[in-house]
Amino acid sequence: MLKINKLSLPDFLTDIMRYNELVAPIKTDESRFEVVKDVTKIQLDLHTYFPAKKFFFKKHQTLYEYKNNKLSVPEIQPDKKQRVMVGLKRCDLNSIKRQDIMFTKDTKDPYYIEERERTILIGYQCKAPVDEYCFCSSMDLGDYYDLMLYEKDDAYLVEIGSEKGRNFVDRYRKYFWDTDAFLRPEDRRVETNLQLNKKDISQYYDHPLWKKLVDQCFSCAACVTLCPSCYCFDIYDECDAKLCNSETKRNWASCQLQCFTKVAGGHIFRQTRDARFKHRIYHQLQYFKERHGINLCTGCGRCIRGCPTRINFVNALNEMQ
Amino acid sequence: MPRIKSQLPEVEEKIPNPYLPLPAKIILMKRETHDCFLIRLDIKTKYEPGQFFQVSLPLIGEAPISVASYSPDYLDLNIREVGNVTNALAKLKKGDTLYIRGPYGKGYPMEKFFGKDLILVGGGSGVAPLKGIISYVEKHKQNFGNVSLFFGFRTPDDILFKDDIKQWSKAYQMHLTVDSNPKKVKLACDVCFITNVVEKAKLDNDNTVVFVCGPPVMMNITIGYLKAKGFKEDQIYISTERLMQCALGICGHCMIHGKYTCLDGPVFRFDEISKYKE
Repeated sequence: MLKINKLSLPDFLTDIMRYNELVAPIKTDESRFEVVKDVTKIQLDLHTYFPAKKFFFKKHQTLYEYKNNKLSVPEIQPDKKQRVMVGLKRCDLNSIKRQDIMFTKDTKDPYYIEERERTILIGYQCKAPVDEYCFCSSMDLGDYYDLMLYEKDDAYLVEIGSEKGRNFVDRYRKYFWDTDAFLRPEDRRVETNLQLNKKDISQYYDHPLWKKLVDQCFSCAACVTLCPSCYCFDIYDECDAKLCNSETKRNWASCQLQCFTKVAGGHIFRQTRDARFKHRIYHQLQYFKERHGINLCTGCGRCIRGCPTRINFVNALNEMQ
Repeated sequence: MPRIKSQLPEVEEKIPNPYLPLPAKIILMKRETHDCFLIRLDIKTKYEPGQFFQVSLPLIGEAPISVASYSPDYLDLNIREVGNVTNALAKLKKGDTLYIRGPYGKGYPMEKFFGKDLILVGGGSGVAPLKGIISYVEKHKQNFGNVSLFFGFRTPDDILFKDDIKQWSKAYQMHLTVDSNPKKVKLACDVCFITNVVEKAKLDNDNTVVFVCGPPVMMNITIGYLKAKGFKEDQIYISTERLMQCALGICGHCMIHGKYTCLDGPVFRFDEISKYKE
């Protein structure tokens, strides 16, 4: 097994920054993943308020342009640096796996793949749940990383998860030391207080308890914006002031808003808040599983933490009989 | 630098861009009614009745349009002026270029119905996808039994495909209705809802499949009457309408519970989605 000494971590990260774009959890106004400019600002163990998905599935992505009466795809900059992301938690890594399924499996999305291919994922195993909203230990999360760091005493034990990770270790071999230490099963998971006890929620769609949750919902879409797995988007054309050229863009969208299912002519298919609220939960915990075998939700708790009324759907689902 | 192996599936160096549409030339532009028109495109792509294309105009946007033909040489789209894109499409002329990508979705599995009788129930612009079925039937006439058509429109001015309807009346059992006749013009058809005609008609449910396409209310009522006549849910095929943006099964707008209309539909066998209320 390999390890990195805690004392040499700043040097290691500074060295990475020299030739790569380093992204890490940083505490600013809120905590989020940012491109690092100052290594001392990095907080590896920080569970960020905002997810890391914006680096792959961008908030705004130009799909193609219409210029001089021609459609063209914007040129990919050839000199883009390799990106190294550190401090991804197990929930973040598993969310990236969900988005990989959506954007690289059946449909190969060139914009997503370009960003994803140039990125190395270095995870960090949480030692304890951040707050009462984490429920990852009930979500059957797997291993999905290039490298994973496990904090132990004065070092981080390093587990290699892919060929990409192995090559990366070879490149920075001087920071890695061999060690006899090993990982116990309990080192790989953290027990959260909140647990989703229901594995199959299909029979509860008409349960009266939903009303209590829906009544607290403002349809503000914070849950979707903060969700590291949610992948729905809008496509629209944005034209310049002269109405000659345009860019076809895609933006993050939210199923919590009425306009999400509005068709030409004005009909809205999910008109009620009840239908929209349940759609998100069922997409997370049932529909995605039916298609891909795993839950879309990874139990990071961001949707509850960021909800203005802290709607705790996990407790509510547990209560449903 | 050697290619680094990642968890991602191996992809070719150059990924074809699934979002990028191709230009297509308009070879025929025909006004059908005051708010409906037919565009014939010079496209040699293979497609099936019931599938749809994403039609776009730069600066304006993209809209899903279902096919209204079945031919290897061209593509017909029947379009109603109802939104930004369709209003802009209406201003195009023969020889103009628009952008198109597709076909997407599952069409009507016509080969499954060989040897069966067909009943087509269409309301308004919902007749357009059914026109693709009729074109298909005409090319494979010997494979199908009786074909009955039930088409309803709002007013006499809204009747689509008037020339085709004359032809169809000769070849098939044709039922045509209009909901109302505000200008009191002389009519060769009944003034009532098409659903009433379905209710009264003598329909044999043995070895028959029914295709229903139209506004949600009309489809619900029709299906109710069909069930009362002993039709089973797996004999009924419906074509659903949803907002579709990527048509690739990602963007999520067209989801009906767990099903993507753009991948699993827009044609569904009714028992696949009958339990959903949306």
